[in-house]
Amino acid sequence: MNQAILTTHSLSKAFGGLVALNGVDLSVESRRITAVIGPNGAGKTTLFNLIAGAYWPSDGEIRFKGQVLGKTPPHKRAAMGIARTFQNVLLFGNMTALENVMAGQHPRSQYGLFEAALRLPQAHRQEETITLNAMKYLNLVGLGMHAHQNALSLPLGQQKLLAIARALATQPELLLMDEPGAGLNTLEKRELSDLIRRIAEMDITLVLVEHDMDLVMGLADRVVVLDSGQKIAEGTASEVQRDPKVISAYLGEDLD
Amino acid sequence: MMLARVRDRWPYLIAVVLLLLLVLVPFKWFLGQYTGLMVFIGINTMVTVGLCLLLGYTGQVSLGQAAFYGLGAYFSAVLSKTHGINPWLAMLTGAVATGAFAYIIGYLIFRLKGNYLAMATLGLGIIMYILFRELSQFTGGPDGMAGIPPLSIAGFTFNTNFKRYFLVWFFCLAILLLSQNIVRSRTGRALRAIHGSEAAAESLGINVDQFKVKVFVMSAVYASLAGSLFAHHVGHVSPSSFTFLASVEVVVMAVVGGLASIWGAIFGTATVRILSDELLLQFGEWDIIIFGLLLMLVMIFTPQGLFVWLRERWERWRLRLAQGGTGT
Repeated sequence: MNQAILTTHSLSKAFGGLVALNGVDLSVESRRITAVIGPNGAGKTTLFNLIAGAYWPSDGEIRFKGQVLGKTPPHKRAAMGIARTFQNVLLFGNMTALENVMAGQHPRSQYGLFEAALRLPQAHRQEETITLNAMKYLNLVGLGMHAHQNALSLPLGQQKLLAIARALATQPELLLMDEPGAGLNTLEKRELSDLIRRIAEMDITLVLVEHDMDLVMGLADRVVVLDSGQKIAEGTASEVQRDPKVISAYLGEDLD
Repeated sequence: MMLARVRDRWPYLIAVVLLLLLVLVPFKWFLGQYTGLMVFIGINTMVTVGLCLLLGYTGQVSLGQAAFYGLGAYFSAVLSKTHGINPWLAMLTGAVATGAFAYIIGYLIFRLKGNYLAMATLGLGIIMYILFRELSQFTGGPDGMAGIPPLSIAGFTFNTNFKRYFLVWFFCLAILLLSQNIVRSRTGRALRAIHGSEAAAESLGINVDQFKVKVFVMSAVYASLAGSLFAHHVGHVSPSSFTFLASVEVVVMAVVGGLASIWGAIFGTATVRILSDELLLQFGEWDIIIFGLLLMLVMIFTPQGLFVWLRERWERWRLRLAQGGTGT
């Protein structure tokens, strides 16, 4: 029923002599929540950045909806329907919360410099749609009443929600979330889980890179475990938790 | 309720009053003796607002805006005087050529960031200054060229300060208005997003490199138009108007006005022009030192720019007035 929206085939990335990712085959099913986990230095962030286009593979390929991504720059991937959040949030500090989300509507609007400078009717119409949509996404993450506050005046938990709203505003088919739970307290994590479930119900495919096992286990339909740049396990949360290779990677048997 | 509505309209009222004052300035019985100064403020503001877009909104430094200002001036001078081309056509050609030049330069230098970008634009400014001085068969060398014809429309020649005042401020206000519209648009948000975080901007589908080049070209075209107006206004150009210091002056004007404020550009430009051309002259050789001291004070006490600082004071005062007005 569900087909793969994103696949990687023997994906590798080396930084100089350091092989960060080594021959990873991955298949992300459409409209599911997939989590990528693994100990520090496992290659999670590298995989993530390769999909988002921050850098290009040394070997192998990535396909999104059957199309090879190759050297497609990040801004084109966003237009194709891949959105992402950042581990260090990266909100625009020179804008309000609403304007941050409005900026996210960039690939879904097209009026340019000329129409803007002369305030032509289509600019006006599109601005209205952009504002309405942005407000919709702000309300979705529960930040409607903070619309006109500066983005960085919000506490970290809300900043992370705002970053999600901004990514959603690009109206993606695939949303990549880099450590969404990092730095949040228990209550905030519960709210985040609820939000992620609601996003999944909007027919958006989610890929999470996460340290927090509890968060992942409750949410993910499918878990991929990386260690030392290689995929060591894949399956449902409970399957993966029982896998001896995963246990040894996390508990560090080879340290003995 | 009524009072509140009146208060909401204050910004428009202020704008109307300022516009009226602007219209009255060149009349002899008002501030007629300052018409020449006001013409220069208008011309400089056009350059400043370009840098506000580039530096204040997009966060990209340029220490070479005088190069584009000079290009506009020399295009107008050489085409209209040496080749006898219509001054308007010369101005347009200058703007298009300068824009194309900035596009090529922008394409090359926006691989650089921060200090390296500043160095590259600084280099550009210095190279253009040397070219203006050394290509003497076209530019007249260090002495420059004189006898540049004034602009005219259908037999009406802009041959006095009074007439040119209105011409220059027409261009200046048009550019300010266009820029204000751009800043408040999708493009404006994209520019500010680039300033905020390039990685995040890219992830939202914003073509960072393209927008940087676009805004660089726009600032160059503004400067070029200003340079043309300058050439036709004073009637002679020489390289000394387009030195590194001229580029730095543009940065100072933008900073004093408040970098991320379009209307602040007028304010910053006017402050610097009036200080350095009028008020500080009476201090003789000390003027540059006092100017520097004032700048330091501005930066220490109002780091967001004098204009923005004043506007915030004004908002706070209005808020206090509003709270007092409700009588609770």
